[in-house]
Amino acid sequence: MRKLRHFLAEVFGVIRALFADDSAKSTMIVGILIYSVLYPQPYVGEVLRDVPVVVIDQDNSTASRTLVRAIDVTDLVDVTMSAPDMETARDAFYRRDVYGIFVIPAGFEADLLASRPAPVAAYSDGSYLLIYSNVMRAVATVAGTMGAQVNYARLTGLGVDDGVARTMLSPVAVTNVAVFNPQGGYASYVIPAAFVLILQQTLLMGIGLLHAGRKPPTGERLWATITAYFSLYMVWVAFTQMLIPYLYSIPRTGDLATLLLISVPFICACIAMGFAIAMAIPWREGVVFLLVVIGMPLFFLSGISWPVEMIPDHLRTLSLLVPSSTAISAFVAVDQMGASARDVAGAIQTQIVLVVVYSTLAVALSRLPRNRR
Amino acid sequence: MLVPLPLILFLMLAVIFAPGLPRDLPVAVVDLDGSTMSRQIVRMADAAADVEVVEQLASLSEARQALVAQRAYAVLMIPAGLEHDILLGQRPEVVVFSNSQFLTAGGIVGRSLSTTVSTFSAGVSLRLLEAQGVGSDRALDLITPIPVQQSPLFNPSLDYIQFLLSAIMPTVLQIFICATAVLSFSREHHSPNGMPRLQRIALSPTRAILGKLLPYTFVGTFVLLLGDVLLFNVFDASFRGNVFVFFLNGFMFILTCQAMGALIALIAKDTTGALGMMGLIVAPSFGFAGVSFPRFGMTLFSQIWGAIIPLTPYLQLRTDQTLRGAPLEYSLPTMGWLFAQLLVFSVLLWVMTRKTMAQIPVSENATVETQESKS
Repeated sequence: MRKLRHFLAEVFGVIRALFADDSAKSTMIVGILIYSVLYPQPYVGEVLRDVPVVVIDQDNSTASRTLVRAIDVTDLVDVTMSAPDMETARDAFYRRDVYGIFVIPAGFEADLLASRPAPVAAYSDGSYLLIYSNVMRAVATVAGTMGAQVNYARLTGLGVDDGVARTMLSPVAVTNVAVFNPQGGYASYVIPAAFVLILQQTLLMGIGLLHAGRKPPTGERLWATITAYFSLYMVWVAFTQMLIPYLYSIPRTGDLATLLLISVPFICACIAMGFAIAMAIPWREGVVFLLVVIGMPLFFLSGISWPVEMIPDHLRTLSLLVPSSTAISAFVAVDQMGASARDVAGAIQTQIVLVVVYSTLAVALSRLPRNRR
Repeated sequence: MLVPLPLILFLMLAVIFAPGLPRDLPVAVVDLDGSTMSRQIVRMADAAADVEVVEQLASLSEARQALVAQRAYAVLMIPAGLEHDILLGQRPEVVVFSNSQFLTAGGIVGRSLSTTVSTFSAGVSLRLLEAQGVGSDRALDLITPIPVQQSPLFNPSLDYIQFLLSAIMPTVLQIFICATAVLSFSREHHSPNGMPRLQRIALSPTRAILGKLLPYTFVGTFVLLLGDVLLFNVFDASFRGNVFVFFLNGFMFILTCQAMGALIALIAKDTTGALGMMGLIVAPSFGFAGVSFPRFGMTLFSQIWGAIIPLTPYLQLRTDQTLRGAPLEYSLPTMGWLFAQLLVFSVLLWVMTRKTMAQIPVSENATVETQESKS
């Protein structure tokens, strides 16, 4: 009992030391709080709405105006101007006043009435994929709906039975159901993942700031240090994985036990790696520099925004050395998709292997003469 | 020692995005019909370039498991009695469940599978119409009365190298350049008497700033050039702008990043604090720059925050000069915006440098005062 009290006193000593070190405090405490406010800001809108587009209506008929109105009422785009020709439209496009151009050629209504195909054209910017997809979805949906109405009228006009006309035009219905992130929200997609990386980077940096170029703690002090960092970061896990989604209304389905099963080995792996880096690079500024610069590239190894199947095998294997490479998608699976421990077993195993590897490395490096001073 | 780091990261990112477009992404199939027609749909899905059918599962609960365990990005569910219902004209419903938590991959496979089913459906409807005595050309017209010609104006293949890699490289470089500027300035600023010593050597704030930052200007320009050579020569990314304007923008971008980094170094209390502060400001800038989620869809705060970060105008200029090939007049306002950032950061940096250089050192008052009068 006395021993435990002594140990706890040591743990609190470590936490006090962390708070006393301005750099460590601003990284491991204040930094995360600021990130939790700043980082989600670009994405709080969740879904892209009302992309401004320009319409070139060369037909100027009832049918063409109906089509334009139907496009305007979709959530996806907003018809903000109409242009007489391509020249004017392109000018607005280059100025970034609009991001899509929608052309209805002359003769549109005449073609429709004469039962000829009445083509329309949509141009958007392939250099911004989210915008492009909005514009094309809007046009394709509206043209499809209007086309179906036209067709239905034609067939029934030919004397085909109502039901038969319907099945003839679309004999198989297809429904696309988006699961886990039903509205396809951008914040729901990027925030839960990014905060796993933020936890890892701040923890690695904090340990570097507190221990690089200094004599490593030993014995009871070492265990107290590990316990202190571990406890602090378990609080941050709860904060970033439960409170932040709640604050930004991001749907969350995971259960606590599974979250613990992935976060405990992940935080341990980060602590071990943090000490290994601190022992390897005895220069505080160097550690922070390295971690600040590599943060973003690490995100693209996680498979969230670029499918992991597309990463060459060698690089994928190498990337397993960084806890976030497997942990990010495991956290997302648990929190956003309700994965069970069995579903993320591979990631949990990887984290445990990393704990062993980096602990061994850290201990070996701490024996170096320069770390024993 | 610092130069190889961004180059290594560039190479790593290039290797990640080398395929350009995701291909053969894994999907699972639940075929409850097992008929000739349902097998045809599955074959058609597998034949699409972006999708590969990796598993045939017996039930939806198994399919859910495949999605959660990330063995598949989408599930194609074909109901029992599909063929039977089609022949009876009862419009069976095929459902595509796509994992939208992985927005890119889930979106690609979801679209691909839906298109496959629609194509299949169009084929059936063609046969039905022909059976009614409608000629095959006429039938084709009937199926799509309003065909939409969809054209990406730039980046026609919707390639991720042009869209993402080309934007990520400057983002990484921005962090690197700001960090080097922080380090080079912090060395003087945060060591006792460092700034007065700098004053003695450099004589004026302008010379001090140039002396500290110029070497890294060259390093940054060199790294940016190498990255662009990689992008435009090795990956054949399209370049439709003016090389001179493009280079000028890159150079202005580097100077602006340096001025911002150095300014942060002078405001912060110590070197690690400065690096941390720089990280907080610069690290999330990719989101604010509006490449992934566009700026016009953001809150006012995000638009303003994005406007003070050099990456935002620079990435717009890059798009103008590479993919869009926009005439110079359209880029001028954005160039003015980047230049205004450079001007503001430089003036602030100059003022701060002068102020800190003039601080009276602990023991060398006399020397510094004579230096002051000289400069």
